[in-house]
Amino acid sequence: MRQFLPTRSDEPMYWLMFGAGGMVASIVLPVIVLIMIIAGITSSDPTSCLLNFSQVTTIFSNWLLSLMVFGTVFLLTFYALHRMHHSSHDFGIHSKLTWYIAYGTAAAISFMSLGIQLLIYVKLF
Amino acid sequence: MSEVKSYRKPYNPPVKKMTWWTENPFYIMYMVREGTAVLALFAVLEIVLGIFMIGLCSISPLTPAEAAAPYIWYLQNFLGNPLIILLNVVVLISQIYHAITWFSLMPKAVRVFMNKNSTELLPEWVVKSGLYAALAGTTVFILVVAFLTV
Repeated sequence: MRQFLPTRSDEPMYWLMFGAGGMVASIVLPVIVLIMIIAGITSSDPTSCLLNFSQVTTIFSNWLLSLMVFGTVFLLTFYALHRMHHSSHDFGIHSKLTWYIAYGTAAAISFMSLGIQLLIYVKLF
Repeated sequence: MSEVKSYRKPYNPPVKKMTWWTENPFYIMYMVREGTAVLALFAVLEIVLGIFMIGLCSISPLTPAEAAAPYIWYLQNFLGNPLIILLNVVVLISQIYHAITWFSLMPKAVRVFMNKNSTELLPEWVVKSGLYAALAGTTVFILVVAFLTV
Protein backbone atom coordinates (compact mmCIF):
# COMPACT_ATOMS: atom_id res chain seq x y z
CA MET A 1 0.00 0.00 0.00
CA ARG A 2 1.39 3.33 -0.89
CA GLN A 3 1.67 6.08 1.62
CA PHE A 4 -0.63 8.92 0.62
CA LEU A 5 -0.88 11.99 2.80
CA PRO A 6 -3.07 14.62 1.21
CA THR A 7 -1.90 18.14 1.87
CA ARG A 8 -4.36 20.94 2.29
CA SER A 9 -4.53 23.45 -0.52
CA ASP A 10 -3.75 27.07 0.22
CA GLU A 11 -5.99 28.29 -2.62
CA PRO A 12 -9.08 29.15 -0.48
CA MET A 13 -7.10 31.84 1.37
CA TYR A 14 -6.18 33.61 -1.85
CA TRP A 15 -9.66 33.13 -3.31
CA LEU A 16 -11.12 34.74 -0.19
CA MET A 17 -8.85 37.77 -0.61
CA PHE A 18 -9.65 37.82 -4.34
CA GLY A 19 -13.39 37.83 -3.65
CA ALA A 20 -13.13 40.56 -1.02
CA GLY A 21 -10.79 42.58 -3.25
CA GLY A 22 -13.18 42.28 -6.19
CA MET A 23 -15.93 43.67 -3.98
CA VAL A 24 -13.66 46.57 -2.93
CA ALA A 25 -12.64 47.19 -6.56
CA SER A 26 -16.25 47.42 -7.72
CA ILE A 27 -17.74 49.36 -4.78
CA VAL A 28 -15.00 51.60 -3.30
CA LEU A 29 -12.37 51.98 -6.03
CA PRO A 30 -14.49 54.01 -8.54
CA VAL A 31 -15.05 56.79 -6.02
CA ILE A 32 -11.39 56.76 -4.91
CA VAL A 33 -10.27 57.20 -8.53
CA LEU A 34 -12.93 59.91 -9.04
CA ILE A 35 -11.59 61.80 -6.01
CA MET A 36 -8.03 61.49 -7.35
CA ILE A 37 -9.18 62.92 -10.72
CA ILE A 38 -10.93 65.87 -9.01
CA ALA A 39 -7.87 66.42 -6.77
CA GLY A 40 -5.65 66.47 -9.85
CA ILE A 41 -7.85 68.97 -11.68
CA THR A 42 -8.20 71.36 -8.72
CA SER A 43 -4.60 71.01 -7.46
CA SER A 44 -3.49 74.50 -8.61
CA ASP A 45 -4.44 75.68 -5.11
CA PRO A 46 -2.84 73.02 -2.86
CA THR A 47 -4.20 74.40 0.43
CA SER A 48 -7.94 74.21 -0.31
CA CYS A 49 -8.32 71.53 -3.00
CA LEU A 50 -9.63 68.03 -2.45
CA LEU A 51 -7.02 65.75 -0.77
CA ASN A 52 -5.04 68.75 0.50
CA PHE A 53 -2.25 68.15 3.00
CA SER A 54 -4.24 68.83 6.18
CA GLN A 55 -7.15 66.64 5.03
CA VAL A 56 -4.82 63.74 4.26
CA THR A 57 -2.89 64.06 7.53
CA THR A 58 -6.28 63.98 9.32
CA ILE A 59 -6.96 60.61 7.65
CA PHE A 60 -3.58 59.14 8.59
CA SER A 61 -3.56 60.46 12.16
CA ASN A 62 -6.77 58.48 12.82
CA TRP A 63 -5.91 54.80 13.38
CA LEU A 64 -9.28 53.52 12.18
CA LEU A 65 -9.25 55.49 8.91
CA SER A 66 -5.60 54.55 8.37
CA LEU A 67 -6.43 50.87 8.87
CA MET A 68 -9.30 51.22 6.39
CA VAL A 69 -6.88 52.64 3.80
CA PHE A 70 -4.51 49.74 4.51
CA GLY A 71 -7.36 47.22 4.12
CA THR A 72 -8.26 48.71 0.75
CA VAL A 73 -4.65 48.63 -0.46
CA PHE A 74 -4.09 45.08 0.88
CA LEU A 75 -7.22 43.56 -0.67
CA LEU A 76 -6.80 45.40 -3.98
CA THR A 77 -3.17 44.36 -4.49
CA PHE A 78 -3.95 40.71 -3.73
CA TYR A 79 -7.04 40.87 -5.96
CA ALA A 80 -5.20 42.44 -8.91
CA LEU A 81 -2.13 40.20 -8.73
CA HIS A 82 -4.22 37.04 -8.17
CA ARG A 83 -6.11 37.86 -11.32
CA MET A 84 -2.89 38.54 -13.27
CA HIS A 85 -1.39 35.27 -11.92
CA HIS A 86 -4.39 33.31 -13.20
CA SER A 87 -4.47 35.21 -16.52
CA SER A 88 -0.92 34.02 -17.17
CA HIS A 89 -2.41 30.53 -17.73
CA ASP A 90 -4.32 31.95 -20.70
CA PHE A 91 -0.99 32.80 -22.32
CA GLY A 92 0.51 29.36 -21.78
CA ILE A 93 2.56 30.11 -18.66
CA HIS A 94 2.07 27.28 -16.16
CA SER A 95 5.10 27.89 -14.01
CA LYS A 96 4.98 28.07 -10.21
CA LEU A 97 7.16 31.16 -10.54
CA THR A 98 4.17 33.43 -11.28
CA TRP A 99 2.71 32.36 -7.93
CA TYR A 100 5.79 33.64 -6.08
CA ILE A 101 6.00 36.82 -8.19
CA ALA A 102 2.30 37.69 -7.82
CA TYR A 103 1.78 37.05 -4.11
CA GLY A 104 5.28 38.22 -3.20
CA THR A 105 4.72 41.56 -4.95
CA ALA A 106 1.28 41.91 -3.37
CA ALA A 107 2.64 41.24 0.13
CA ALA A 108 5.60 43.59 -0.45
CA ILE A 109 3.43 46.50 -1.68
CA SER A 110 0.75 46.19 1.00
CA PHE A 111 3.07 45.68 3.98
CA MET A 112 5.37 48.47 2.82
CA SER A 113 2.27 50.68 2.81
CA LEU A 114 1.39 49.51 6.33
CA GLY A 115 4.91 50.30 7.54
CA ILE A 116 4.82 53.83 6.13
CA GLN A 117 1.36 54.37 7.61
CA LEU A 118 2.59 53.27 11.05
CA LEU A 119 5.51 55.69 10.72
CA ILE A 120 3.17 58.56 9.77
CA TYR A 121 0.83 57.68 12.65
CA VAL A 122 3.64 57.58 15.22
CA LYS A 123 5.06 60.89 13.97
CA LEU A 124 1.69 62.68 13.94
CA PHE A 125 0.41 61.25 17.21
CA MET B 1 5.91 16.73 3.47
CA SER B 2 8.49 16.53 0.70
CA GLU B 3 8.16 12.73 0.31
CA VAL B 4 4.48 13.08 -0.63
CA LYS B 5 4.29 12.43 -4.34
CA SER B 6 1.70 14.34 -6.30
CA TYR B 7 -0.35 12.19 -8.65
CA ARG B 8 -2.07 15.21 -10.14
CA LYS B 9 -1.56 15.53 -13.86
CA PRO B 10 -3.26 18.75 -14.99
CA TYR B 11 -4.01 19.11 -18.67
CA ASN B 12 -2.38 22.26 -20.01
CA PRO B 13 -3.70 22.92 -23.51
CA PRO B 14 -1.04 24.27 -25.85
CA VAL B 15 -1.34 27.99 -26.63
CA LYS B 16 -0.32 28.31 -30.27
CA LYS B 17 -0.54 32.06 -30.56
CA MET B 18 -0.88 34.85 -28.03
CA THR B 19 -3.69 36.60 -29.95
CA TRP B 20 -6.22 33.74 -29.75
CA TRP B 21 -8.62 35.97 -27.84
CA THR B 22 -8.99 38.56 -30.62
CA GLU B 23 -10.97 36.18 -32.83
CA ASN B 24 -14.15 36.12 -30.77
CA PRO B 25 -15.90 39.18 -29.28
CA PHE B 26 -16.76 37.19 -26.15
CA TYR B 27 -13.07 36.42 -25.56
CA ILE B 28 -12.17 40.07 -26.21
CA MET B 29 -14.57 41.18 -23.47
CA TYR B 30 -13.11 38.47 -21.21
CA MET B 31 -9.59 39.77 -21.76
CA VAL B 32 -10.69 43.39 -21.24
CA ARG B 33 -12.20 42.27 -17.94
CA GLU B 34 -8.95 40.57 -16.93
CA GLY B 35 -7.11 43.73 -17.98
CA THR B 36 -9.10 45.86 -15.52
CA ALA B 37 -7.03 44.17 -12.78
CA VAL B 38 -3.86 45.77 -14.22
CA LEU B 39 -5.50 49.21 -14.07
CA ALA B 40 -6.71 48.50 -10.51
CA LEU B 41 -3.09 47.75 -9.60
CA PHE B 42 -2.10 51.09 -11.17
CA ALA B 43 -4.66 52.88 -8.98
CA VAL B 44 -3.30 51.09 -5.89
CA LEU B 45 0.25 52.13 -6.79
CA GLU B 46 -0.96 55.76 -7.07
CA ILE B 47 -2.42 55.51 -3.55
CA VAL B 48 0.78 53.91 -2.20
CA LEU B 49 2.88 56.65 -3.85
CA GLY B 50 0.73 59.24 -2.09
CA ILE B 51 1.22 57.45 1.26
CA PHE B 52 4.98 57.31 0.58
CA MET B 53 5.05 61.07 -0.12
CA ILE B 54 3.25 61.81 3.17
CA GLY B 55 5.79 59.52 4.85
CA LEU B 56 8.57 61.66 3.36
CA CYS B 57 6.83 64.78 4.70
CA SER B 58 6.48 63.30 8.19
CA ILE B 59 10.19 62.37 8.56
CA SER B 60 11.35 65.72 7.17
CA PRO B 61 13.42 67.82 9.65
CA LEU B 62 12.03 71.06 8.15
CA THR B 63 9.27 73.17 9.68
CA PRO B 64 5.72 71.84 9.13
CA ALA B 65 4.99 74.52 6.49
CA GLU B 66 8.01 73.55 4.38
CA ALA B 67 7.82 69.81 5.06
CA ALA B 68 4.71 69.39 2.89
CA ALA B 69 6.72 69.94 -0.31
CA PRO B 70 6.88 66.24 -1.43
CA TYR B 71 3.13 65.84 -1.03
CA ILE B 72 2.41 69.08 -2.89
CA TRP B 73 4.67 67.81 -5.69
CA TYR B 74 2.57 64.61 -5.76
CA LEU B 75 -0.65 66.62 -5.82
CA GLN B 76 0.36 69.14 -8.50
CA ASN B 77 2.91 67.36 -10.70
CA PHE B 78 1.69 63.78 -10.41
CA LEU B 79 -2.09 63.86 -9.90
CA GLY B 80 -2.32 67.18 -11.76
CA ASN B 81 -0.40 65.85 -14.78
CA PRO B 82 -2.83 65.78 -17.76
CA LEU B 83 -1.51 62.35 -18.77
CA ILE B 84 -2.22 60.94 -15.29
CA ILE B 85 -5.68 62.56 -15.25
CA LEU B 86 -6.41 60.92 -18.62
CA LEU B 87 -5.11 57.56 -17.32
CA ASN B 88 -7.25 57.95 -14.21
CA VAL B 89 -10.33 58.49 -16.39
CA VAL B 90 -9.48 55.25 -18.23
CA VAL B 91 -9.04 53.51 -14.84
CA LEU B 92 -12.44 54.86 -13.69
CA ILE B 93 -14.20 53.59 -16.84
CA SER B 94 -12.50 50.20 -16.55
CA GLN B 95 -13.48 49.87 -12.88
CA ILE B 96 -17.10 50.69 -13.69
CA TYR B 97 -16.99 47.99 -16.40
CA HIS B 98 -15.53 45.61 -13.83
CA ALA B 99 -18.26 46.55 -11.34
CA ILE B 100 -21.03 45.87 -13.88
CA THR B 101 -19.64 42.41 -14.75
CA TRP B 102 -18.87 41.64 -11.08
CA PHE B 103 -22.43 42.49 -10.03
CA SER B 104 -23.95 40.42 -12.81
CA LEU B 105 -21.94 37.32 -11.84
CA MET B 106 -22.55 37.75 -8.11
CA PRO B 107 -26.08 36.20 -8.01
CA LYS B 108 -24.69 33.17 -9.88
CA ALA B 109 -21.72 32.74 -7.54
CA VAL B 110 -23.46 33.42 -4.21
CA ARG B 111 -26.67 31.42 -3.89
CA VAL B 112 -29.10 33.11 -1.49
CA PHE B 113 -32.20 31.06 -0.63
CA MET B 114 -35.64 32.59 -0.11
CA ASN B 115 -36.21 30.70 3.17
CA LYS B 116 -35.10 27.59 5.07
CA ASN B 117 -37.86 25.30 3.81
CA SER B 118 -37.49 25.69 0.07
CA THR B 119 -34.78 25.52 -2.55
CA GLU B 120 -36.09 28.62 -4.29
CA LEU B 121 -33.43 31.24 -4.83
CA LEU B 122 -33.72 34.96 -4.28
CA PRO B 123 -34.42 36.60 -7.66
CA GLU B 124 -31.29 37.84 -9.42
CA TRP B 125 -32.51 41.41 -9.66
CA VAL B 126 -32.78 41.69 -5.85
CA VAL B 127 -29.10 40.78 -5.32
CA LYS B 128 -28.01 42.95 -8.25
CA SER B 129 -29.98 46.01 -7.20
CA GLY B 130 -28.66 45.61 -3.66
CA LEU B 131 -25.10 45.71 -4.98
CA TYR B 132 -25.82 48.72 -7.22
CA ALA B 133 -27.39 50.47 -4.22
CA ALA B 134 -24.22 49.72 -2.20
CA LEU B 135 -22.09 51.21 -5.00
CA ALA B 136 -24.24 54.34 -5.25
CA GLY B 137 -24.47 54.74 -1.47
CA THR B 138 -20.71 54.36 -0.95
CA THR B 139 -19.95 56.78 -3.80
CA VAL B 140 -22.30 59.47 -2.50
CA PHE B 141 -21.20 58.98 1.13
CA ILE B 142 -17.45 59.18 0.43
CA LEU B 143 -17.87 62.16 -1.95
CA VAL B 144 -19.98 64.10 0.58
CA VAL B 145 -17.52 63.39 3.42
CA ALA B 146 -14.57 64.32 1.19
CA PHE B 147 -16.09 67.65 0.14
CA LEU B 148 -17.33 68.55 3.62
CA THR B 149 -13.95 67.96 5.29
CA VAL B 150 -11.86 69.94 2.77
